[in-house]
Amino acid sequence: MDRTLGAPGALDPLWVSLGASGLALGVIVLGGTPLGWLLARDRLPAGRLIEVGLLGPLLMPPLVIGLLLVFMVGPNTPIGQLLGHLGLSATNTFLAVVIAEVYEAAPYYVLGVQAAVAAVDRDLEVEAELLGDHPFRRWRRVTLPLAAPGLASALAITWARAIGAFGAVIIVAYHPFGLPLQIWTSLQETGLGSALPFALLLVVVALPLPVLAYLWSARARRRD
Amino acid sequence: MLVAEIEVARRTFPVLADLRVDPGQRLAVHGPSGAGKTTVLEAIAGVVPLRRGLVRLGPRVLSRTASPRLQVPIPERRVGLLRQAAMLFPHLTVAENLGYSRRGPGGRPAGPDPGWLALLVERLGLQGLLEVRPAGLSGGQSQRVALARVLASDHQALLLDEPLTGQDPALRLELRLVLAELIARRPVPALLVTHDLDEAQAFGDRLAVMDRGRVLQLGPPAEVVRRPASRRVAELVGYSALIATDRCRFPGSGAPAPGWVAVHPDKVVMGAVPAAGPSLQGRVVSVHPSGALWSVWSQLESGERIRLRLPLPVAAGEPVTVTLVDPPLFDATGQLVPVPRWSEPDRARR
Repeated sequence: MDRTLGAPGALDPLWVSLGASGLALGVIVLGGTPLGWLLARDRLPAGRLIEVGLLGPLLMPPLVIGLLLVFMVGPNTPIGQLLGHLGLSATNTFLAVVIAEVYEAAPYYVLGVQAAVAAVDRDLEVEAELLGDHPFRRWRRVTLPLAAPGLASALAITWARAIGAFGAVIIVAYHPFGLPLQIWTSLQETGLGSALPFALLLVVVALPLPVLAYLWSARARRRD
Repeated sequence: MLVAEIEVARRTFPVLADLRVDPGQRLAVHGPSGAGKTTVLEAIAGVVPLRRGLVRLGPRVLSRTASPRLQVPIPERRVGLLRQAAMLFPHLTVAENLGYSRRGPGGRPAGPDPGWLALLVERLGLQGLLEVRPAGLSGGQSQRVALARVLASDHQALLLDEPLTGQDPALRLELRLVLAELIARRPVPALLVTHDLDEAQAFGDRLAVMDRGRVLQLGPPAEVVRRPASRRVAELVGYSALIATDRCRFPGSGAPAPGWVAVHPDKVVMGAVPAAGPSLQGRVVSVHPSGALWSVWSQLESGERIRLRLPLPVAAGEPVTVTLVDPPLFDATGQLVPVPRWSEPDRARR
């Protein structure tokens, strides 16, 4: 294990995985929280359509998601060309890893937020308004605290899903290697012995957040 | 003054009301479940939209469907609404719930006035509960916390939907007095909705009776009960039976025109007392205690059964004569006859 992880550049996949998953999680939380809330409160004109769009990546095999991404953001697509103008590429780059992870993990977060917010009694939100709260303050003081255990669970699952993303990532970003790809190539090229240390590393970095979130959310539910 | 000229669409029937309540005045709205009482309060508070109409609080228009259309958002209406369910925030303690409103006296963002809050806690018996979360409260305690919370918030009108629901009977009577005392300290227009007539009469300077989305009668509580405007109002304010005039014995010049006399179980005396009103004869069918009185079912000679509450017991099977004290009289169409003819000789003597 020392020999495998101690080799020069051996920890690069760890930094790629942590960086890409952290960034993907940030993007998902920033965009997914309002989207999940709007879906829960039926505030979007095509809410059901968006739900179907979110269920797609959940139900499809990750490899197929990767192929779809090639058609959506590959170099010959309008998005790919736009990225090219900006000096970016969504193929075999760090950005591609982030995009693939977002696409694979976002539905878990958005649908989790939707369920958590939908579980908050709408009448409690009206009560907050009757007591003088405007929408943002109402969200901060009532909706968010009551939905927090559900949000924490959604965040945990999303993190685990993003950092462990493999199928879509291997199609759009064979390089740079993150941990899942490193495990796969080590297994293919040098066998189980060299893949296991990376697998252990992935477990060590992937698990703490879900475990903490689970413990916190279980405690919050017990308290209420 | 609070002005509510409203029409609200509902699945079953529209709710219409035209109510005016001055600052310091208390209007009680009474009616059966589903009559539209809660809808009236929610429309004033802006929780449900108007199909047509206007809600005005002092100089401020809160809702207007005529052009230019206006709907002031709920947080800016400054209308305190206590709903039937306590709706306490489950993640906050009682103290945090009580201090939830960020608006203090005069709308300043300071939260409720501490002195006022302390008085509410004391008068509504919430001492010792301040650090408890709502899950640890009984239904009655939750309702009292919700009442204190709405009274603590800054508001220019107060709307109370069944505020004493869930309290045990003795406490409920005491809370009526407490509520009246607390409301008197903040003289804003106040509306109370209840299906408990006694509570409505105790609270209101005026009483509105609602049924199927309409206000059937509005007036001083005692007058509405003494002279219900129609047979339906009579039923809603506690009259338990309607007897055809030709089945009653009227004093003086005899029976009035064909119509109906309303029987209120509490407005009867034993025996024939011509000066008090028409009398009925029947036979006691059953007797059982009802509080400090006796609930008596009596079958009239004409076959109808009426329920009475009498101060003394009577034996089942005994013949009984009772006088209906100053009962309202309705004509054949069900409308109130303003001055019953049987009372005229008595009035002339005075």
